[in-house]
Amino acid sequence: MSLVQIRNISLLSLKPQFSISRLLHTSSACQKSQSGRYRITAKRDFPLTYEMANPPHQIAHRKTWNSWNTSNLEGGLRSSETAIEDMFIRKFVTGTWHALFVSEIIIKRQHNIIRVAGIIRRSIGARKIYFLIGYTEELLSFWLQCPVKLELQTVADRSDVIFKYI
Amino acid sequence: MNIFKALQNGVAITSKPLFRLMSNLPKAAEEGELDKLYKIVELELKGHDPAVLKSFVKFATTAGNHLDIKSTTWDLRKPIHDRRSVLKSVHIYKKHQVQYETRTYFSFIQYKHVTGSTADTLLEYVERNLPEGVALKATKVELQALPEHLKSP
Repeated sequence: MSLVQIRNISLLSLKPQFSISRLLHTSSACQKSQSGRYRITAKRDFPLTYEMANPPHQIAHRKTWNSWNTSNLEGGLRSSETAIEDMFIRKFVTGTWHALFVSEIIIKRQHNIIRVAGIIRRSIGARKIYFLIGYTEELLSFWLQCPVKLELQTVADRSDVIFKYI
Repeated sequence: MNIFKALQNGVAITSKPLFRLMSNLPKAAEEGELDKLYKIVELELKGHDPAVLKSFVKFATTAGNHLDIKSTTWDLRKPIHDRRSVLKSVHIYKKHQVQYETRTYFSFIQYKHVTGSTADTLLEYVERNLPEGVALKATKVELQALPEHLKSP
């Protein structure tokens, strides 16, 4: 007996005529895509950068990738090691530069060189930024055993990279 | 200063250009050795983005034109779409899957009738300026004289 059949019988036999019955609607599993999408808030004040505002199906249309390398081409080598290295670089850089990155970290590999790019905000002084650049480049090139170059752009305030509020 | 000192000592001055000493180019072509002759130098380019490949082909052919090397280009090889299906959910729900694909686009450049040193220089320049995400395979077809034992008497 389905839930609806039970409800119908109970309505007819047991419930008085003037009561309101609560219903439950179920469907099969929908599995809608919800990755990389942000829910609209009631106050409409959640900030989104351009990258966050475009969902993943816009990659190659309005967005590009964050990692550029030849490991996933036909006959490319070291795809899994490159992916793990990229994850490590991102975690390391985000952690070293405490809450300073306002964009995603872009990693480009050309021959032997790894170029790490991103936008930071100018909340600490120039001297500290130079120290952090040298520290990051030195440690990453020691761990990854190849030259690592940081290419950073600065922005005065976090609000300069906000695309819309949701 | 070196030139004056050399003249005073009566030593012959070598006329090797300085950049060749400092670059990674092979140190060949001494006075006696002849330069190799290449009939074709073919570059096969692979990439994820056809626009990037098109722009790089334009760059490479312009570089060749500046060195008076004729080139032909084509991108007739069909791109390879490598597709995989993956389950959408962490646990059960076999009916709901996602397809991911990796696309490889191809492009070819052929330089004709190049000497060895020119080919080395051009390849070095093109390889140094390869964009990230583009793979290059260079094939050289050399022209050689018939060996002695095959020549008619």
